[in-house]
Amino acid sequence: MSDTIVSVQNAVVDFGGFRAVGGKAGLSLDVKRGGFLGLIGPNGAGKSTTFNLISGVLKPTSGHVILDGKDMSSVRAAEISAHGLGRTFQTPRAFPSLSVFENVIIGADHSEDGPIDALMGRWIETDAVIKEKAEQVLQRVGLAERRNDSVENLSGGELRMLEVARQLIREPRILLLDEPTAGVDPTLQGKLAKILTELHASGTTLIVVEHNLGFLLKLADSIVVLLNGELLAKGDPDSIRRDPKVISAYLGADHEA
Amino acid sequence: MILYSIILATLMYGAVYSVLTLSLNFQYARGGMINFGLVAYFAAGAYAYAIFTQEAPSGLDQYLFGFDLPWYVGFLAAGAAALLFALITGWPTLRLRGEYLALTTFAFAEVLHSFLLNERRVGNGSVGLSNVDRFDPTVLGISDRLGYAVAAVALMLLTAWFYNRLLKSPFGRSVDAVHDDELAAQAVGKDDARIRLQVFIISAVPIGFAGALYAMITTLVAPSLFTAEITFFVWIALALGGEKTILGAILGTIALVLFQEVVGSIPFETSRAAEVAASAEEIITGILFIIVLRLRPWEKLSRESGA
Repeated sequence: MSDTIVSVQNAVVDFGGFRAVGGKAGLSLDVKRGGFLGLIGPNGAGKSTTFNLISGVLKPTSGHVILDGKDMSSVRAAEISAHGLGRTFQTPRAFPSLSVFENVIIGADHSEDGPIDALMGRWIETDAVIKEKAEQVLQRVGLAERRNDSVENLSGGELRMLEVARQLIREPRILLLDEPTAGVDPTLQGKLAKILTELHASGTTLIVVEHNLGFLLKLADSIVVLLNGELLAKGDPDSIRRDPKVISAYLGADHEA
Repeated sequence: MILYSIILATLMYGAVYSVLTLSLNFQYARGGMINFGLVAYFAAGAYAYAIFTQEAPSGLDQYLFGFDLPWYVGFLAAGAAALLFALITGWPTLRLRGEYLALTTFAFAEVLHSFLLNERRVGNGSVGLSNVDRFDPTVLGISDRLGYAVAAVALMLLTAWFYNRLLKSPFGRSVDAVHDDELAAQAVGKDDARIRLQVFIISAVPIGFAGALYAMITTLVAPSLFTAEITFFVWIALALGGEKTILGAILGTIALVLFQEVVGSIPFETSRAAEVAASAEEIITGILFIIVLRLRPWEKLSRESGA
């Protein structure tokens, strides 16, 4: 088993004539198994595009995405997810036809979710276990009281936590979170930090895009800085904080190092 | 006696068409696919049933195939034929969304209609197939029409149970999720392309069975019976009954059939009066449709039931 779980190799993503990721040489980055990588950079640097690339939503124009030793460059997003990759989105996404509870439980029922399973009633056996798991996850993200609500009644921050919950119940090996603290109040942010610390301790590989550096630099064990779709710097949080290139391009001169 | 005959006809045709409405409810209200070619699966089922049960051609018959098999084999063949046609039409078109899918499904149905009309070796052309073999309910000691009314209601209830069981399961949740947000569904490992195709194919099967039952009832299968009018009838029934409820789909269909049966049973002295009545029926159907869409009674219903 290789030490690298996510490997982006010379990847380029073009949207028509615009190069969103890759610059001249293509983007390359490796994520350690069980690592916690923070992905930062100014708006438009290509962070979310990189997420779409790793999760298979976008295919590289050239280059490769290797997950757990397998080339996933042309594998569809749903299949990559089923292989143990979870992700959230920059704008939180929920299923309005489903209740809060169902929005979580849908993350768990991926093995017995076919039409034949439905007719044979195969899912009924495991239903109680999965429901119990969903309850626990809702507790963890602080949404237990809202379980029967419509997702349309949730606030922006609660929607983000709901998306995290939907991934938590799946127990992915690799979890990509896109700006998880945006619009989330300090209490929920505390819960989120605790969850991320626990996931990190349990060996889940985490990649987190975040502008809230106070939050991210405390938790991540390595940082990659993107600028115009290219890798500007990488290193541990302390060296990134002091890197003059990063300060001038992203942090700003008055940043407290 | 007229009342009894109206009730029986309403139950019989209402139940047969309810199978189509229930399938559309699953495919459109839950799966989010606009299918304007429903009649094609109905026709595929009816023709498959006729071809499997009729005798081999003789005399002036222009069709090539008649397998002379028992009615239950024909019934199963009808489901299989509808499934096959859904697979052939669904595979290349399901990438399309909204009105584009509506147009292509409509076009496929027209192609099938035109094929059956012109290719005499399959369905005897515009004459159709009239040697349809069927189960005779009188051996059970009940009248023919009562027998088929009971069979139609049984098929309808079975179809309702079938969709209910699908929708109450994790598969049903996946269908809703893919309909709501494909990207988010993919992010939890739901293969949206596969689920859409499954919904499309699954919902064709009961329509095929309904086609077989319809062929047994009419004992004739001809292109003129399977026009786009049936597709739009089912869409109107679904709008009447309200999306997303199984009971609504059934009630909407039965109400529409009842209305037509009542108008159809009015005796007319002259053919002119019958023509006027036929136009009036269409006008009133249209007006009803507008009123129902304006008032949206199902929204009130679903609010009251807290769903």
